[in-house]
Amino acid sequence: MNGSKARRFSEHDTIAAIITPPGEGGIAAVRVAGPDSRAILARHFKSNQPAENSPQPFLLRLGYFTTSKNEILDEVMAVFMPAGRSYTGLDQIEIFCHGGRQVVRRILEEILHDNIRAAEPGEFTRLAFESGRIDLSRAEAVAEMITAQTEVSFRASREHLLGRYSEHIELLRNELIDILSEVEASIDFTEDAPEVSADRTKLVALTDKLIARLGQLVDTYSGGRVITEGFTVVIGGRPNAGKSSLFNLLLKQERALVTPTPGTTRDYLVERIDLDGYTVNLIDTAGLRLGGGKIERAGQRLARDIITKADLLVWVVDLSKRNWQTLLADDVKSMSNTDIMLLGNKIDISKKTVLKSGIRQFDPIPASCVTGVGIKKFRAEIVQRIEKSMPDLTSGLVVTSLRHKQKLSESIRHLKAARTKIKGGVSGELVAFDLRAATGSLGEITGKVYTEQVLGRIFSKFCIGK
Amino acid sequence: MRNTDFDIVIIGGGHAGVEAALAAVRMGRTAAIVTMEAKRLALMSCNPAIGGIGKSQLVKEVDALGGLMGTAIDATGIQFRRLNLSRGPAVWSTRAQADRIKYNEFVVDFVARQMNLEVIEGLAGEITVEQGKVIGIRLEDGTFIGARAVVVATGTFLGGLIHIGEKQIPAGRIGEPAAYRLSDSFRSLQFELRRLKTGTPPRLDGRTIDWSRCAIQPGEEPIPFFSPRSSRQPFDQTPCHLTVTSEGTKEVILANSHRSPIFSGQITSRGPRYCPSIEDKFYRFADKPTHHIFLEPEGNGTDEVYPNGFSTALPEDVQREAIRTVIGLEEVVVTRPGYAVEYDYCPSHQIKPSLETKNVSGLFFAGQINGTSGYEEAAAQGIMAGINAALYCAGEPPFVLDRSEAYIGVMIDDIVTRSITEPYRMFTSRAEYRLALREDNARDRLSGHACRLGLITAEDHQLFNTLDAETKLQVGRLSKIRIKVSGLNGLSGRIKRKDSISLAELIRQPNIELHELIPILVKHADGTGKSTEPLERAAIQIRYQGYIDKQTREIVKFQKLEHEQIPINFNYADILGLKTESKEKLGRFRPVSIGQAGRIEGVTPSDLMVLSVYLKRHKESR
Repeated sequence: MNGSKARRFSEHDTIAAIITPPGEGGIAAVRVAGPDSRAILARHFKSNQPAENSPQPFLLRLGYFTTSKNEILDEVMAVFMPAGRSYTGLDQIEIFCHGGRQVVRRILEEILHDNIRAAEPGEFTRLAFESGRIDLSRAEAVAEMITAQTEVSFRASREHLLGRYSEHIELLRNELIDILSEVEASIDFTEDAPEVSADRTKLVALTDKLIARLGQLVDTYSGGRVITEGFTVVIGGRPNAGKSSLFNLLLKQERALVTPTPGTTRDYLVERIDLDGYTVNLIDTAGLRLGGGKIERAGQRLARDIITKADLLVWVVDLSKRNWQTLLADDVKSMSNTDIMLLGNKIDISKKTVLKSGIRQFDPIPASCVTGVGIKKFRAEIVQRIEKSMPDLTSGLVVTSLRHKQKLSESIRHLKAARTKIKGGVSGELVAFDLRAATGSLGEITGKVYTEQVLGRIFSKFCIGK
Repeated sequence: MRNTDFDIVIIGGGHAGVEAALAAVRMGRTAAIVTMEAKRLALMSCNPAIGGIGKSQLVKEVDALGGLMGTAIDATGIQFRRLNLSRGPAVWSTRAQADRIKYNEFVVDFVARQMNLEVIEGLAGEITVEQGKVIGIRLEDGTFIGARAVVVATGTFLGGLIHIGEKQIPAGRIGEPAAYRLSDSFRSLQFELRRLKTGTPPRLDGRTIDWSRCAIQPGEEPIPFFSPRSSRQPFDQTPCHLTVTSEGTKEVILANSHRSPIFSGQITSRGPRYCPSIEDKFYRFADKPTHHIFLEPEGNGTDEVYPNGFSTALPEDVQREAIRTVIGLEEVVVTRPGYAVEYDYCPSHQIKPSLETKNVSGLFFAGQINGTSGYEEAAAQGIMAGINAALYCAGEPPFVLDRSEAYIGVMIDDIVTRSITEPYRMFTSRAEYRLALREDNARDRLSGHACRLGLITAEDHQLFNTLDAETKLQVGRLSKIRIKVSGLNGLSGRIKRKDSISLAELIRQPNIELHELIPILVKHADGTGKSTEPLERAAIQIRYQGYIDKQTREIVKFQKLEHEQIPINFNYADILGLKTESKEKLGRFRPVSIGQAGRIEGVTPSDLMVLSVYLKRHKESR
C-alpha cells in the first residue's frame, strides 16, 4: 500500500476483518479501519456512478469490488466513515458483499495483500473505546463483551490448539528460540565464553528447517479452509459443453445449503451444496465465454482468476464433437491449474465408448447430464479429491485462521531475510534484527517470547561466565 | 515542616551510592553518604574492571547524564579495549581494567571536593517514616539524621552472610560487618525481602605466576576512553593474560564439591547463571574438560591478580589445591580466599520506575537491593535514584527513561515488571531497540535531558552540540564522495557494483563490517585531521538508518502504550473479565502504564483491553 511505502507513520495500523459471523448468511461484511482505509476504497471499489468516486461520508454506494489487477470480484455496497465519526474513531470503511465465504474471504485477502494487518480479536471494540465512541456508562457491559469475544476466539483457537497442534506450534517456537539464542550468544558472550561463535552452516540449516516447517503449516491453511469455508469446485469448459447442465444437475441432486442471490455477477454463479458431509462451493462459469471481443476477453481473465483460486477445476468436454481430443489438448495447455478433473459429457449422443484423451495421465469420466449416466462416479471422484486435499485431521495440524496464516507467512518472510544475512556473513546484530521480527510474528500466535527464555536457553547451552 | 539535616541521605558508598549523591548535589541539593568507612567509597568488591558488553553502554549513559564512573575509570584504568569489534557498531563495547586502589582513591578525592556533600561514617539501622513519608534514618548507635529523601544502596551489606566452605561469616565484604538491623527495619515497614547469592574468586600473588605459560591480551591502541570529558594522555597499558584449567582442576573440584556450600545445601538462594562458580561449571557442564581463566591485574602498584572465571565458595584448602592445577598457576600463592555471599534484596515489584518505593514516599532503592548485579548496573540506578530524589525534594515529577531511549530504561523497566530470581545483569539482547541504543550515541539520546536537569554544564552541552553538527556535516559528505571500487583491494570482491561507489553506499554494504572501513573512510572523507569521532558517528548512523527507520513505527506504538497511565493504587480485584492470575500479577507489580502491564509475564492482550476500558471509566469518574 502506498501509505506504508511513503513511510507515513501513524500511531495506528490499518486493520481489516470479516465482521459477519462465519457460516451461512445472505450478506457478509468486511470492515477496514485506520489511516489507509480510504486508499483501500479508492483502490478496490468502483462505484456504479463514476462521478461519485470520491466517497461521501455515510453514503452507502453500489458498485464493484475489484482486485489489484482491476478484475471484478463481486457486486458490493460500500460506505466510508471519516475519522472521528466512525465506530472505531478512525477512518473506516465497510464493504457488504453477497454471502458465501468464498467471496468475502477473497475480498479480505485482497485487502490484506496491501500490507493491511488482520485485526486482532476484539480490536475494533478496543479502538471504539479508545476513541470514546462507546458511552462510558456502558463500560462494564462492553468489558464483558470484549472478554466474551476474546474468550470465544480464545476458545476457538484453543480448540485447535489442543493436542498436537499446540505441541507443534510450541516446537516451532522452540526452534526459533534456539536459532535466536545462538545468534544472541555470539553477541553477548564473546568474552565470557570464547568458544561461542555462531556456526553459520548450522544456523542456515536450522533456519531452513524452520522455514520449511512453517511453510508446511501455512500450506495446511487451504485444507483448514475447506473445513471452515468449503471446497471450491469451478465448472469450466467450452461453450455448450454442458457446464450449466452439470451445475443444475448437481444442485438438484444434492442438498443446496443456502441460496445466495443467484448471479452475484452477471458472469458466474455460485451455489453451495453438501456433498457427503463436505461443504462444496460450486461455481458455474457459464457466463464467461471464451474468445470474442474485448469485453469477453476481460471475462476470460476473470475466469482464469477464478479457476486459479479454485480447489478443483472440473473441465467439461463435449464428447459429441469429433475433434474433442484436439480441442482438449489446446485447452489444457492454457490451464496452469491446480487440480483438474475431466468430465466427458454427452456420452449418450457420442459414438465413442472408450475414452482416451491422450493427454497427460487423465481421461474424462464418461457421463451424461441428460440421462444422469456416470454422474455417480463423478460425484464419488469429487469426494475423493476433497478427502485427498484435506489435511490429516487426526494430526490436528491445520491452520484455519487467516490471521494465523498471515502471521506465519510474515514470520517466514523475516526468517528468509535472516537466512540471507547469515549466509552472506552479515554480523549478528543485523541477523538478530530479522530473527526478532520473526519471533514477534510467531509470538502473536504462540504467545510472547520473552528475553528471559532466550537467555535461559543460552545459559543452559553454553558455559557462560569467565 | 520539620528541620532536616540534609535534603537527601544515601545509605551506602558503593557505585550506586556515589552516583546518587553526586547527581543530587549537582541538582542543587544537600546530601550525605552514610557508609561504614569513608575511605572505602566506590570500592571494587569483585573484578577490577568497568564496562563490557551491554555494561559499557550503561557507563556511557551515566557519563552522558554527568555521572562519575566514565571519568573515574578513564583516569585510573590500566588497560582499555573494545569488545565485539568484529561485530557491528551497535554492540561494540568498551571494557577497561582498573587500578583498583587508584579508582577508589580517585572517587574518595572527588567526593571530598564536592560542596554540599558529606560522608558520614556509621552503620544505618533504621529508616524513619512518618505518615508514609521518609523523614530520615537512625544509625545503629542511635544517631538520627533527618532527610527529606533517602536512597538505599546497600549492596551485599544488607543481611550479608559470607560462605567459605563450611565457614559462615556475617559480613558484607570479607572483614567488614553487615547491616542486619536495617533488614528488620524494612520488614517492619512491610517490605518483602528475599535472598540472592553472588561470589568472588580468590586473589593471587602475581609474582608467583608463570606468565610464560599464559596467552597475553594487550590493550587497544589508540586507547578507547569512555568519556569525552576525560583528558588523560596516552599511556603504556598493562596487559591481561589468559590461561585454562587442567584435567587436574576438574578432579580436585569434583572430589571436593560436597564441601561447597552451593552443593551442601548451606546456600539456598540463587546465584547468577551467567557467572557461575568454578564448581558449578564443572558440575553443570560435565562434558567440558577445561575452562578459561582470565588473569587480570588489580593495579600497577600491586602484585595482586584477579583470576576471572574461578569464583568459588570451596573451603580455603581446596581453593589452594585447585587453583594450583590451573596452567601457569602451579606455584601460585593465594593472597585472599574466594567466597560466596548471600544478601537481602527487595524484589523490585516494590518500587516504581522512578526507583521510589511504593510503600514509602521519598525512599529510593538502587543497586543490589533491587536484585541487580554489577558496578555499571548499580551506578546507572544510583544516578537515576539521585536525580529522582532531588526531583522529589523539589516537588517535581520523576525522570524516567523508556526502553527506546536508553539501556538504563530497559534495565529499570525490566526489574519493575518482572520477578527477579537471580542477580540481574545487563545484556544487549535485553534491548529490543538495540541498533538505536549504542555507545556512540549515548549523548545524542541523553544530553538534552542532562542539560535540562542541570546535570551537565552548558559548556559540556555545547561541546556535544558541536560534535553533533560536525557529525551531520560528515553524513552529507559521505553521501557525496564517490570512490572507485577497484581501489578497494581486499574488499572489492564483496561489492556487487564494479565501477564507483559512494562512501555511504559502501558503509551500507551488509557483508562488510564497519571496522574494516574506518581506515578507508578516514583516508577519503576526513579532511580535518582532527578527531575521527564525527566521521565514525556519521558512518554508524548511515549503517543503521534503514533499520532504525523500520522500527520507528513500532516505537511510536510502544510509546503510545507507555503513555496510557494507570494510577498506582488502581484496584484490580474488582475488575470483571480479568483472569485471576492476571489480577494477582497486576496487583503485585502495579504497573504505571498499559505498556508496562503488557510486559508482565502472563498478562494477555485481552487483559489489556479490559484494563483500558476500566481505566477510561476510572478517569471519567474522577
